[in-house]
Amino acid sequence: MSGTTACFVIVSRNDIPIYEAELGSSAVRKEEAAHQHQFILHAALDIVQDVAWTTSAMFLKSVDRFNDLVVSVYVTAVIIHTRLMLLHDSRNEDGIKSFFQEVHELYIKILLNPLYLPGSRVTSSHFDTKVRALARKFL
Amino acid sequence: MDHAMMASAADSPLGRILVEEIAPVVMVLSTPLAEQACRKNGLDFVQMLRPFCFFENIDVPVRTASDQPYRLQEFILRVFYASDVRKHSSEVAENLLKQVVTDRSEIPFSKSQTDGLHYEGISAGRKTHLDAIRINRHDSESVPPWFQTFNRELLHTLSFSEHETFDHPVACLLVVSTNDDQPISRFVDLFNMEQLPSLLKDGTMDSKILKHYLLLHDNQSGNLEKASSILAEMKSTFGLKDSRLLCINSSPDGIWEGDHSPWFHYKNGVSLKQDNACFLTSDDLNQIRDFMQDLCSKHIIPHMEHKVRELNQQVSAIRKGFRNQIKNLWWRKGKEDTPEAPKGPMYTFNSTESQIRLLGDYAFMLCDYELALSNYRLLSTDYKLDKAWKHYAGAQEMVGLSLFMLDQSKKEAEYSMENAFHSYERIGSSGLRYATRCGLWWAEMFKERGQYKEAAAVYFRISIEEPSLHAAVMLEQASYCYLLSDPPMLRKYAFHLVLAGNRYYISEQKKHAIRTYTGALSVYKENSWSYINDHVHFNIGRWYALIGMLDVAIDHMVEVLACSHQSAATQKLFLNDFLRIVQSTGSKTEVNKLQLPLINMPSLKITFEDHRTYASSASVHVEESLWKTLEEDMVPSTYAAKSNWLESYKNLNALKKSNEASICVIGEPIKVYLEFKNPLQISISLSDVSLICELSPRPDGTELSKFISENAFEIGLLDKTELENVYASYVLSRENFILGGGETRGVELDVTPRIQGLLKIVGVRWVFSDSIVGSHIFNTDIKRKRGKPRSNEDHFGSTLCFVVVKGLPKLEGCIHKMPHKTYAGDLRLVMLELKNHSEYSVKNLKMKISHPRFLIPESLGDLELNFPACLEKQIRSESSDIQEKIAFNSYEKSNGSFSFPNGTKIQGGTIFHWPLWLHAGVAGNLSQYISVYYEMENHSGDMTYRTLRMHYHIEVLPSLNISMSITPYPTKFEEFLLRMDIVNRTHTENFWLRQLSVVSSDWDISTLSSYASGHLSQLLPAGQSLVCFFKLKGVSEINLLPIQGSDSRVGSEDTAKGLLDTFKSPLIDFHHHERRHQENSGQGCPSTADFILISQLVNSDPDELPQLFSHHSCHCRTASKDPVLWLLCGPHAITHDFGSSFCEADLVMRLHNSSTTAASVKVVIPDGMPALLGESSDDFASSNRGQGGWQDVPLASDPLTSALEGARPKMPQSGSDGQPFAWCRSSSSHLVLEPMSTVEVPVRVCIFSAGVHDLSNFELHWSLRAGETDPGTEDRRRSLSGMSRARPFYLTALQTVN
Repeated sequence: MSGTTACFVIVSRNDIPIYEAELGSSAVRKEEAAHQHQFILHAALDIVQDVAWTTSAMFLKSVDRFNDLVVSVYVTAVIIHTRLMLLHDSRNEDGIKSFFQEVHELYIKILLNPLYLPGSRVTSSHFDTKVRALARKFL
Repeated sequence: MDHAMMASAADSPLGRILVEEIAPVVMVLSTPLAEQACRKNGLDFVQMLRPFCFFENIDVPVRTASDQPYRLQEFILRVFYASDVRKHSSEVAENLLKQVVTDRSEIPFSKSQTDGLHYEGISAGRKTHLDAIRINRHDSESVPPWFQTFNRELLHTLSFSEHETFDHPVACLLVVSTNDDQPISRFVDLFNMEQLPSLLKDGTMDSKILKHYLLLHDNQSGNLEKASSILAEMKSTFGLKDSRLLCINSSPDGIWEGDHSPWFHYKNGVSLKQDNACFLTSDDLNQIRDFMQDLCSKHIIPHMEHKVRELNQQVSAIRKGFRNQIKNLWWRKGKEDTPEAPKGPMYTFNSTESQIRLLGDYAFMLCDYELALSNYRLLSTDYKLDKAWKHYAGAQEMVGLSLFMLDQSKKEAEYSMENAFHSYERIGSSGLRYATRCGLWWAEMFKERGQYKEAAAVYFRISIEEPSLHAAVMLEQASYCYLLSDPPMLRKYAFHLVLAGNRYYISEQKKHAIRTYTGALSVYKENSWSYINDHVHFNIGRWYALIGMLDVAIDHMVEVLACSHQSAATQKLFLNDFLRIVQSTGSKTEVNKLQLPLINMPSLKITFEDHRTYASSASVHVEESLWKTLEEDMVPSTYAAKSNWLESYKNLNALKKSNEASICVIGEPIKVYLEFKNPLQISISLSDVSLICELSPRPDGTELSKFISENAFEIGLLDKTELENVYASYVLSRENFILGGGETRGVELDVTPRIQGLLKIVGVRWVFSDSIVGSHIFNTDIKRKRGKPRSNEDHFGSTLCFVVVKGLPKLEGCIHKMPHKTYAGDLRLVMLELKNHSEYSVKNLKMKISHPRFLIPESLGDLELNFPACLEKQIRSESSDIQEKIAFNSYEKSNGSFSFPNGTKIQGGTIFHWPLWLHAGVAGNLSQYISVYYEMENHSGDMTYRTLRMHYHIEVLPSLNISMSITPYPTKFEEFLLRMDIVNRTHTENFWLRQLSVVSSDWDISTLSSYASGHLSQLLPAGQSLVCFFKLKGVSEINLLPIQGSDSRVGSEDTAKGLLDTFKSPLIDFHHHERRHQENSGQGCPSTADFILISQLVNSDPDELPQLFSHHSCHCRTASKDPVLWLLCGPHAITHDFGSSFCEADLVMRLHNSSTTAASVKVVIPDGMPALLGESSDDFASSNRGQGGWQDVPLASDPLTSALEGARPKMPQSGSDGQPFAWCRSSSSHLVLEPMSTVEVPVRVCIFSAGVHDLSNFELHWSLRAGETDPGTEDRRRSLSGMSRARPFYLTALQTVN
């Protein structure tokens, strides 16, 4: 499903975004939308905070929405408590789930890197490339 | 009726609204004269009545549909002029609402300043703030109170709609003044259909309305009698009960006597002035109150009761019961076909639906919610069937509200509200506002039940369809709902505040916008969502600028400047906006937290000079420990040892301990190196970058230590005047530069103190884009190692404090002509220059050089040295030779420390020169550290000595590679063939080989005369190699010979006079060092030779000084492997008449022992014959001959004597063997050679026939004598014994021709 706006963020335990990527083809409006996307995703953390404890599933589906933008969230293990958040306007739930799972694996690989301090920013360009590739594949 | 429950619902905020807003309306019609009477009090008639419309303890029994009466405790009437009983036009409504918001923008804005501070506090203790809000949940303080006002105003704009009846007047109050002519007819005229509201006119409501006639009497304008008469007339005309007289303005003097005006609390749009109600006495007020109570309890409520009962019966008859239901359905179906009338009300007052609605509303107003509910339910099904969506929605809304008031079935209440909301939304623009109202109620309902999240969602839904101003208020209410929810949803709160702020801005409510954004900022403050922070700060800044609060605007704009994550365009936008704001302030603004440029604090390096001074920045960056070891022997060892030097020095020491300040000298700059980084993609310009310093003068005398301990803490608290005084006491350097996008630049900033005292470097300041002054204060608490460690002080803060001491002479030094890059072997004269800028002179100069191998001082300091001519050979006397040796030795002994001649002083303001020799000994990177020590001539200051540190880095490229190989001359002892392989390893340079010298008095070198001519070229072009051969001869006299090039293109005269004296100072000194460094393999070998090849770079410019190179090749072994060498010497040709006799030839066998131990030697004829020189008596016979003549040499006996004794001339056996010659005499066959000695043994050979005879048919066995020296150490690699064959020696015997 191409042409959809999507913004992907990994939020660390302390609510700090450690990875951000604007996905999708609407690169033109990116600049203006960037802060809007952050606002929506940031606000959605409040909902995630509630929802995360009601289910044992990691994939929380769409937890919040703002106008036509939907926030889907995938919560990782409690100790790290990293949240993968995707802001999107498509309804391809299966694709999103697969996307999250794959990115989660990538993220775990990042975590396994002894030089990576958990909770710090993910700067690996390899990771970035992979995430974007996954986004093209699943979203 | 469940009154307890009802009461609780009614007490809730929503309940209050409903009770107050859904209350019977009294329509007022008044004559102008009546109004005039009221105006005297600054009020109109309605306003006068309003405070008395609230009946808190009316206690009226009410009986509605059921037979059970109940008592109403509280009742409210709403009073409106007939002209107001109509719907507001949308513009008016809009302006009203806008007014509400704008009115409030001032009050909360001034509050928001304090709020802002308050919010700052939250970031630390957010929880406490939240708790405060949550505890005061129903307190209007936490949530801005004007929301309620706004909401109510919003409701008011929707009053008097046609599809609802609760706003329809229940009664009509006709007011006529006693001053009116013909009051009775005025009463009749007043209720004139023309003036009546459209609701009455178009039949939406019953025009047969309860009327009440009021005669208003102004006590000031007439007497009461006239009024009474009119009242009597009225009573007869309109009925006894419905006519009243009200007297006002009883107070003659116009001074308000009561404590406080009841209007004072009544906020509803009445402007209050001092003269308000001044003519009303308390009697008047009581009269009004009584009148209103009467009107309410005796007329309106009974009327409504009656109406409810009547309508209820009617409705029951028509609609209740199964039969009626069926009938209704059937009838409605039929009605469907009739098209809806586009004009006029769909339902007139006498339609069943309207009556049911009226019934419901009246019941609701009379607090009989059960009855109301059942009717609304009934009604909504009807409307639904009719597809009258607006009416349906209205009915549903009321269902929800009734349920709420009954506190029943929350689900259904919510469902009804949602239904109503949707229905309103569905009908399009005309219903939107009602949807909003419905939403407000719905949200209130949620809030009442603590479902804040849902309430917020409702508010959000309302905001979508509303114009921006309303939306803003709604969104802000939503945000507060999130804040109040449990757990508080701060992020949602902030987000909705931002959304609200955005809408506020669109509707030009900037102050509100700022307020909301500031609120949001309290949440966003700590997070690292960069885009959010940028957006919020940028907009707050922009808006503050728009309302003219530039300083606050700048504070916020500063936050977004360092936005490296934004695109270049955005960065530019931010920056330009910021600059525009700053420029509009019209002056240079000082900004504290300016993030442009970023300052890389770890890069901070402070360079200062106490007793250690530095010649260049290169020397500053050298590790202190290197200098320490270098200067170890030269400088006085410790401070403690020198404590008796001066009292002031003690002070200094104590001072150093007290605050760990460093010491610097007046007039000498302290340099601070700092890196500035531009985080943006666009370039920024910085000017006037300088340090911020504080210098407090040091008081004299004994209070010193005390002063310092105090000052260390209070230095920042100097008052203004003092600071200004101090300002002139130091000089700052200023830098201007432009930082490109993403560029990092290191800048060196100076401060030069001018008076004694305590100097503290506080921070750095700069002017950004010529308009903004930014500053950065160094945080002295950071403890870390500095880039330039002062070993014992690793506290960062301490290095920013300096004790400024008196001016001292300081030498500045450099070495002239020091190359950065050169070729190996380069030998040149460089000049050390020391400048003394001060007025004092210095003495006792010493110098230490880290690598004397490469750099040595000229021993005599002759400035007139003419290089390279000074190196050329001169006639030397023995004495000078000795002197030089001594000089060298002294230099050597002092371990590279060179003392300038006694009495060397550098007077103030003079320049001192001293030549130094540089020799780039090896290829590679050479780091040369030079430290010059000097003492003060007449030291009165705190320091007695200083050192000047110089550091030079030379890159040495490989030039010539030389390898020597020496082979002994086959025919001569002490003569060797020297083969020199030279490779020019440069790529561009050509070398002219000038001279090869051997550095020893034992050797003599000469070219191979036969070989030299025509082959050897002096020129060695780049990349080529060359082989040269020389003859080396051991002599006892020094003899140096040039390489003689036959075809010298450089010029033979040069060659002739270019002989350099390798025994003179620089060459021999460097040679010693080279020799020491090349000491490895050749150690212990007795006979080695050292060579110096002197070459010269071929210059393209002949006028240029020749560049000399010396290459040292040391420890070249001359000795062969065998320690014992021998050769035969003698004639090579003899002439003899062999016919007569055999011929005897005398030869000499020369034996040389080159080892350091004695050797015993035996000469053996190998063909089985005994030694030709005579058999050695015992050993030889007993030893095994089969071993090829290998014999043990008896060491104990004296071999020489025994051998000599045993030597007999032997008859040649060769005669029988056919050998044409025989050895006949030898002085010894067995002898001992002393170490390093040569022995000549005469031998004689008898030759029997003519011809060429090879005389070398014997062997020489030798054996080193162990025991005299330890064989393990020295001659390890040599065998202890061995054998060598003779070299061919041909003797030509010629037959004489007779």
